[in-house]
Amino acid sequence: MPGRDPHGGAAERIRKAIALVNSVADEAGDEEITPTEIAEAIRDCLELSDVDSVPNVRRYLGESLDAVSDGMPADFVAMTLYAALGALRERSPD
Amino acid sequence: MLSGGARLVVESMPERQSTSVVLMFGAGSRLEDDRLAGVSHFIEHLYFKGTKRRPSSKEIADAIEGVGGFINASTDKELTAYWARVPSEHMELGLDVLFDIIANSKLDPADIERERIVILDELRMYQDQPQDLVQNLFEELIWPGHPLGRDIAGTEESVTRLTRDEILEYADAHYRLPNLVIGAAGMLDENATLAVVRDQLSLRADPDGALAVAEPAPLESPHVLVRRRETEQAHICLGVRAFSYTHPDRYALDLLNTVLGEGMSSRLFLNIRERLALAYDVHSFTQKHRDTGYLGVYIGVDPKKAVDAVNAAMAELRSLSESEVLPDELARAKEFTKGRLRLELETTNGVAFWLTYQELLLGEIKTIDEELALVEAVTAADMKRVAREVLNGPVQMSVIGPFARDSAFRLAVGA
Repeated sequence: MPGRDPHGGAAERIRKAIALVNSVADEAGDEEITPTEIAEAIRDCLELSDVDSVPNVRRYLGESLDAVSDGMPADFVAMTLYAALGALRERSPD
Repeated sequence: MLSGGARLVVESMPERQSTSVVLMFGAGSRLEDDRLAGVSHFIEHLYFKGTKRRPSSKEIADAIEGVGGFINASTDKELTAYWARVPSEHMELGLDVLFDIIANSKLDPADIERERIVILDELRMYQDQPQDLVQNLFEELIWPGHPLGRDIAGTEESVTRLTRDEILEYADAHYRLPNLVIGAAGMLDENATLAVVRDQLSLRADPDGALAVAEPAPLESPHVLVRRRETEQAHICLGVRAFSYTHPDRYALDLLNTVLGEGMSSRLFLNIRERLALAYDVHSFTQKHRDTGYLGVYIGVDPKKAVDAVNAAMAELRSLSESEVLPDELARAKEFTKGRLRLELETTNGVAFWLTYQELLLGEIKTIDEELALVEAVTAADMKRVAREVLNGPVQMSVIGPFARDSAFRLAVGA
């Protein structure tokens, strides 16, 4: 389909993961979000094959998963997820 | 050329009310080893503390400010400049004060100790200014282990240790006539200026043998340096080694820098700030020395967007070497560069510095028309060729912000 973002699926999942992380960083929301839930959201991203179609996206997601495992601050996890999302954006048609 | 080897460059600007005089020595922090780090800057401060004829800083300032003038100095990596701007009828006074401070400063031990404290405070102040500190860290990466990569003011350790004898020895070695260019611009008489200089200038004439400078070693690989600070913003400098101020492609590099990141219609500003809203402050800059230089990008960004912003900046750099800049971008960059140069040369101070820099660093003086013609001659193909050459080098990046690890930044620049 003309103009369609070929990485839309991965981008959407990364955005969801970012929203989760940001709600922790901002201490927003009624429910407490656990690191396990964030890790699960990142793993959901990694399951998509289009994360391999753009260089470094999988590696940034891997960095974010490591950061969650290592108990790094939510802002740091968000940074690596934004980097993954940005890498997809750089390779997407305008 | 004056007797003793000093050089005088003069520009008559008869429509002006002021005259600016500059004394520029080819001595800056690049000539200092680790032990003497910061001595050029230290001397520049001390020379305003008092001379035999004007025993305190107040008397030096009063002499110039008493006629409404300005006096100041600056230390750079390859030079130190002392300057005054005065109403034209006081040109002789301006030169007299400058000659007095460079030849007759007392370097009183008590003044040295007071100024040492001031400089140490200055060094600590920079540590609290991440936008400055990140550029210093970047220069450490661009010129590792070389005096060019060190802060001009030295280190806390070196400034604490410098002795009066070391300061005197360094000044004696470098503040000599063959190492001096005097510039004057404004409403002046060239012959009268020459007469004043001949009459008043007094320094050692024999050249000192210690002016050789070592070229920085080539950079082999990209490096990332993350300095963890709990700042609200991340401060990032990234870039590559580039050209010296004698390189024939320096004009193409300057235009490339303008297209990339100078002003609000540059690519970095339009794409990273306006389109992607990633950073409030993003711009590029160059620095050039006699045998080396760099092209750098500064980004001030929300820490969460730091790596994304680096990737976006890297994409802009790559695009410069992948395709030629557009005709309207090239035209804008040329007009920007030419306009800035013309504005810079509106003041007598700007002209005096421009002449003096050229004579000291290049050994020749181009007219503004010659300089503008060299800018005009650059083509889009030249800029692409230069981008390919320069951006092929290993990227160096310094980061200040609340980051516990550097792996994502390394990934962004392939380090």
